[in-house]
Order: sequence, then C-alpha cells, then structure tokens
Amino acid sequence: MKRDAQNFLTVIGSNKGIIYKVANSYCKDEENRKDLIQEIIIQLWLSFDKYDETYKLSTWMYRIALNVSISFYRKEHRRNEINQPLPDGILYLHEEHTGELNTEIDQLHQFIKELKEIDRAVILLYLEGNNQQEIAEILGLTMTNVSTKVSRIKQQLKEKFLTLKK
Amino acid sequence: MEDIEIINLWKSYDKKLEENLMLNKRNAEDITKMKVKSFLTSMTPLKVFTILIGILWIGFVDILMINLWSVASPFFLISAAILVLLNKLSIFIYLYQLILIHQVDISDPILATQEKLANLRSSTLWIARLLFLQLPVWTTFYLSETMFENGHIVFYIVQGILTFTFAYLAFWLFFNITYENRGKKWFRLIFNGKEWSPVMRSMELLSQIDEYRMENITANKNANL
Repeated sequence: MKRDAQNFLTVIGSNKGIIYKVANSYCKDEENRKDLIQEIIIQLWLSFDKYDETYKLSTWMYRIALNVSISFYRKEHRRNEINQPLPDGILYLHEEHTGELNTEIDQLHQFIKELKEIDRAVILLYLEGNNQQEIAEILGLTMTNVSTKVSRIKQQLKEKFLTLKK
Repeated sequence: MEDIEIINLWKSYDKKLEENLMLNKRNAEDITKMKVKSFLTSMTPLKVFTILIGILWIGFVDILMINLWSVASPFFLISAAILVLLNKLSIFIYLYQLILIHQVDISDPILATQEKLANLRSSTLWIARLLFLQLPVWTTFYLSETMFENGHIVFYIVQGILTFTFAYLAFWLFFNITYENRGKKWFRLIFNGKEWSPVMRSMELLSQIDEYRMENITANKNANL
C-alpha cells in the first residue's frame, strides 16, 4: 500500500478499536498504555508500504499490534526518553463515558490480563469475532490448535467467573 | 457464565468503545512526519559498535600473541588464546543477533516473530555465560615459569586457591545460568538490573511458544491418523 499519510490516517481511524483493545489487553497502566498505542501506530506506519494485500487489513493490523504489545513493550525505557519527543494521546476515550464500563466487563478484562501472553492473543482474537482460519493466520498456528486453545481458554474464563459468583 | 454471555459482554464493550473512542488525527499525523526508527532498527548501531570494539580487542590480543609467541610465557599464551576464543564466540552471538534483527518482520505471524524476538533477547544470556567463563584466565595470564621455580609455598597456595576458585565459579556459572534457575537467589542477585527483565520474560515466552509448537505437532499428528 502506498505510504501516504492521509490514507494511513483513514486506515487508523477506521480500525482504531483494534489498536486500543490490543493495547488495553496488554497494558494496565494508563500512561504506559499511551506509550504502547503510540508505539503500535509507529510500527504500523513504518510497515504501511509493506502491507501485503493478499491478507485482510485487519490481519496485518492485529499482527503488528499484538507483536508490539507482546514483545516490544518489554523495553524498560520509554521511547520518549531515549529518542525524540512524540505526540501524546493519539487515542483517547471521552472522559464522561469511561466510568460507564460496567463491573462485568472490567472483570472480563482482568481475567484476560491474567492469561499468558499468547493465550491472551488467542482469546482476544476470538472475542473480536475472527474465525478460526483468521486466528490461525494471525498467530501462525494450525486451525486444530486454535480450536483446542480457544475452548481451553474459554473454559478457564468460565471457571474464573464461576469462582467469582461463589 | 456461558460462551454467548462472554461474547455479548465483549460486544457491549466494543459498542461503548465505538461510541467513545476518539482518534487525535493531528497527533497521529505528526508520527507520519517524523523520522522515527523501529526499536529493532535502533538496536543495530549499538550491536555493530560492540562488534567493532570486540574485533579491535581480539585483533589487539591476537597481534600481541603473534609478536610475543617466542618470548612470552606459556601461561600468557594459553590464557590469551582462551580469552580470544571466548570473545570470538561472543562476537558470533552478536552477529547472530544482528541476523535475527534483520530477519524479524513485525507483520509476520505472532508465533514466528515472537520466537525470533525471544531468541534475540535470550541469547544475551549466552554472552553473560561466556563472559563469566573468562574469569580464570585473568588469574593466570601473568604467571611465568620462573615464578614457579623461585616461588614460595604461600604463593603456590594463594595462586592455587585463586585460580581454582575462579575456574570453579566460572564453570559453575556457565552451566547454571539457565532459565530454569531464574528463581534462585544467586541468579536474581546477578541478573538484578532492569536490563535483564526483558531477557527473563523472553525466556518465559519461549517456553510458552514451545508449548504451542508441541500442541501444534500433536494436533497435526492426530489429524493425520
């Protein structure tokens, strides 16, 4: 895809949810999450002209967002401190609405964050409505493996909710 | 809670995000105007610099060995040869890391990319093991035959204890600096710094990837039966 800034902004704008949800699943702290979102957008921009159109745009975005979230963010230094200052707050939630997110959703988020990194990616992609083939393509697994993993992780989540109710 | 309830819960979260999530276009646009490098690319200059310094150091010791070959004590020559060999191995690890950096494509599937990145970080532990293995040669390079011919019993004892302790420590650390020992007190003491936590977490991730790979193999076998 042509590395055109306007085109890139349109892509980011229409898929901002992917970036936010992935970042939110891997980063609890709000300040760090801002950095992570910034880093994902940088990596998306740097890879934008290499986007292979044989894959869905969402596959490409999930791969980058997940790869950055799982690994790059283990850096102990913030990019701002070691490189050049970058714009803050690229994605944000409307202040007055953030409190509306109910307890059950918060609990689901908490349970997801307790999963191992790759399991977290599997369930996130499943909840996002991706089919097994798409999940397999994004993660680099077989469909059988995806199916086994999804049912196992779902079971874990159910048990966690069940323990909570007791 | 049933599957459908979990999915619906996620959908309601998704809906709220859809309504409330805003993109600050100006800030996003700023990124496209900046000369930003990826984290991986920004790691390259330091690795190249370390390799160059390493080559200079090895070259210096090699030249020293060649020029002093006929006059230097065997202790010096053997110690220097071990030192050079271990440093050459460390340079190979740095070269391996550079190759991995070059190979990583952040838009590749997660497992393959994470495996490369985790290998990249965990190979740093090999450099630490090789560095520790150099310890005993720093207690032997200055020795000469005349020191032994004219030496006092105290010298033999002190030198012996020193070299033995360093050699024992070096080999012990070489074989014991492994991911499995990460929880041990001595391990945490050595790898205490912040710079080691990504290495440790990478090794943890490698074991997760291994689990997935094993399950993938089993799933394939079962599918072929």
